[in-house]
Parts: sequence; structure tokens; C-alpha cells
Amino acid sequence: MTEKVLEVDNVSGGYGDLKVVKEISLDVYEGSANGVTGRNGVGKTTFLKLICGALPLLGGHVRLYGRIINRLPSHSLFQLGISYAPQESIVFDGLTVQENLTLHYSSSNLDRYTYVFKKFPRLKDRLQQKAGTLSGGEKKLLSFSRAVSEPTNLVILDEPTEGVQSDNIILMAQVINEEKVKGRSFLIVDQNITFLEAFSDRVHLFDHGEQTYHTDGPNFRNDIEKRILI
Amino acid sequence: MEAFATFLLNFVYVSAILALVALGLAMVFGLLGVMNMAHGEFVMLGAYSAYVVQTAQISFFWAIPLAIFVSAIFGFLIEWSVIRHLYNRAFDTLLATWGLAILIRKGVEVVFTRDYKSVNQVVPGTVELFGVNYPAYRLILISIIICIFVVLLLWYQRSKVGLRVRAMVQNPGLAAAIGIDIAILSRVTFVIGVSTAGLAGALLAPLVRVEPYIGLDYLLSSFFILVVGGLGSIEGLLIGSTIIGGTDAVISTIFDKTAGYMSVLIISILFLWLRPDGIFYRR
Repeated sequence: MTEKVLEVDNVSGGYGDLKVVKEISLDVYEGSANGVTGRNGVGKTTFLKLICGALPLLGGHVRLYGRIINRLPSHSLFQLGISYAPQESIVFDGLTVQENLTLHYSSSNLDRYTYVFKKFPRLKDRLQQKAGTLSGGEKKLLSFSRAVSEPTNLVILDEPTEGVQSDNIILMAQVINEEKVKGRSFLIVDQNITFLEAFSDRVHLFDHGEQTYHTDGPNFRNDIEKRILI
Repeated sequence: MEAFATFLLNFVYVSAILALVALGLAMVFGLLGVMNMAHGEFVMLGAYSAYVVQTAQISFFWAIPLAIFVSAIFGFLIEWSVIRHLYNRAFDTLLATWGLAILIRKGVEVVFTRDYKSVNQVVPGTVELFGVNYPAYRLILISIIICIFVVLLLWYQRSKVGLRVRAMVQNPGLAAAIGIDIAILSRVTFVIGVSTAGLAGALLAPLVRVEPYIGLDYLLSSFFILVVGGLGSIEGLLIGSTIIGGTDAVISTIFDKTAGYMSVLIISILFLWLRPDGIFYRR
């Protein structure tokens, strides 16, 4: 039995008194990936914000390796081993690409990025450029590269493929699969079913802030598509 | 020619002093969004530090570390007890710091009374420059202020902490997500900001009458500078200082002090009315 990395237990929350996410539970295991999908505005992004401490919970618990983390300030989650790439405001527009990649480390060298630079050489060409001048898809690649190269056990990504070219989406899936082999875990919200299919061990379908369906195993496409259409 | 050189030096001198006084407010207001109404009180604490050093009969040089130390301690306590609960609530910070300003003024009044104190001129005499004899201390002050700006600018542009401060100002949520402790970073920024005000107070002490209420003037002129120059950039701060300082110097020379002050007020009102974001504006 592989170890449980993240345990989301009956989590509810939203903005003020408005409950956007209602009693959702899921587990993320070591070396595996969970995909979350669903239509726009069903609470996927809110759900990730609740887990990452960007919003306070209205109920439930989030545990990392058995330790309750939902009362900790969000910056300490990084030290505990969670990387998070949000859906919006994903880079520091006024800083260069290199500064975006290194500001949270004591050294400014880019050694830890050798691997992602091989996959996305475009980023390496733009190191001295202000991140605000990148296209939406390039910003997503920058945010993705920053998160997957961090020394963390769990990587949480919110719509990583939004606006990204299809060749690069395939490469992103490859990176995730290679990182999974190293024992890292992923929790990824995306609407691109083909992308989720490429690496997900489990997929969760959200609707109206609730988890309406979830599956183990790779053959979820038919089930999910049927349910999204309804 | 001589008159022009004197005027030019005075202009640079007044602008430099204004820029130094406003620097701390620009950091605290521009980067953290805190309307620090107690800003002038930190200048006042710095000036009293110089007075204490003089009373203790040790070298004036010690006024600088003492002023920085005193304002840093006060800044830390104020940030920790009040300000950190009020980030993103600009109007509340205005009320709270106004209260703190009164408290600090009254506290100083209790210790030092309301009497004017004077700090002796440390570098008397004049230096000949561009054909005029100009007070040496003023020239030293201008050089020190330039050094302070260069050091802070290098820190802000080149250091890791400066980089993180810029990141925090742009996108606090993402900064927290990558493990940057925003609470600590805001505290550091606040303490550095008020320390520059304390430093300004110590440097200005030999030139002004030191009394508990001197902070008010500095607070006002600092706000005028930010209104004219705009928030969040060093260019705005420098342009604002030169416009406010320059207008005051020109009008005061031609007419009198009152006319100079009135022209500063009119410029500030025009800016608030017609261009409320100032000349330079971030975002």
C-alpha cells in the first residue's frame, strides 16, 4: 500500500458566507496523480485555493502526511512540501523570467531547471524578458516549470494547459509522468480530458461544488464525457 | 551668476531634504498601502536622538545609529501591535497611526517638555563652490542623501529581499504560494521605511528647532510630494520633491515664506483635482 500524501476530508468553503465547495473528500497517494475536472464555475479553483490556504475553510480538514495543515499560513505549505500554481495571476509580471524562477531560493542559479528547459527551450531564450510580456500560454509554461521544479512532494496545478499549444501540453504530461516515477504526487484541475488521461490515476468530477463522480483507473473518458454532457 | 549658483544649490538642497523625508512614507504607503500619519513623528524621534547625543556630550556621529535604532524599535512595536492587523485597510491605518502619532508626541512632551531644543551645528563654516560660499553641512547633507538613495535603490533592485518585496507588492497571493513569508517581509519594509524617517530627523536636527510638534510639517510635505510625484516609483518621489521643493524655493525667494507655502498647497490641490495619481504611477 502506498502512502497517503494528501487527505482532503469533507472540505467546504467559499467566499464570505457563500459556500462554493460542499463537503468534498479525496486522497492523493505517493507517486500518483489525481485529476479534477468539470464545467466552468463549479468550484474547482475554489477547491484548490482552500487546500493551499489561499481561502479559509468553512468545514472539514486537510491533512498532509496525517498532519492538519488547513490552519497554517499559506507560505508555510511550501516549506512542508506543497507546490501550487494558481489559475490566475500566475507569474510576477514586473519581474524577469529568471527572477520569477529563482526569487524564492537563496541562489539565483538555474541548475534545477535544466530538465524543464530541455522540454521547453523557449523559456530559456526568454530568461531576461519581463514575465508580463509573455503570452498567456508561455506564462502557463513558466508557472508550470516553476512548480514542478520545486523540491516538493506534492504539486497542485490549476488549469495548467489553458492557452498552451498542443505540442507543449503533451510535453507537460510527459514531465508529470516522469516526476510521478520519482515518487512525487499531483493534484491537477483541468478541462482537457486527453491531458488528464495521459497521467491521472484517479479522476474526480465536480458539479455545483460537489463531487458527483470519481473513478480509479484509466478508462474514465466515456464515463466523464457522458456525465459532463448531461 | 552668483545669485543663480546660490539659488541652484538651495534648490538641490531643499529637494534632497524633502526627498529624504518623504522616502519612508513613500515606502510604507507605496509598497504596503499603509497611510502612516505617524511618519513625521519618526522624523521627530530622530531629531530628539540627535539632541540626546548632544546632551550626553558624545560625537554627533552617534546620533545616526541612535536615530535608526530608536525609530526601528518604535516601528517594530507599532507594526507588531497595530499595523499588521490593518494591511489592505488603508483608511483604518490612517486613523490608527494618527492616534499613535498623538501618543508619541505626548510621550516626547512628557520626557522632554514642549520647550524648543537646539542641536548645535556640527560642521560650521562654508565651502566655496561655483563661486559662492555655501554652508559645509548642507553640502555634506546633500552627499549623504545621495548615498542613502543609491544604497536603497541598489538594495531594492539587486538584493534578494528587494526582489521579494517587489514580488510581494505585485502579487501577494503568489508570493505566499512560493513560500515567501509576507508578514515578515511587510514588517521589514515598514521598519526600514520608518528608520529612514528617523535618520532624516537626526540629519536635520542641527538645522531646525527640535520640539514635539515638528513632525506635522514633515508629514504634510511628504504627502504633497507623493500626491504630485505619484506612488510606487523612485522617479515619482524625486520629481515630486523637486517640484514641491523648487516651487517653495522660487516663490519664497521672490515673495515670502507664506506665499511659498501657499503655492505648494495650490499645486497639491491642483494635482489632487486634475491628476490624482501623480506624475509617475505604477500599474
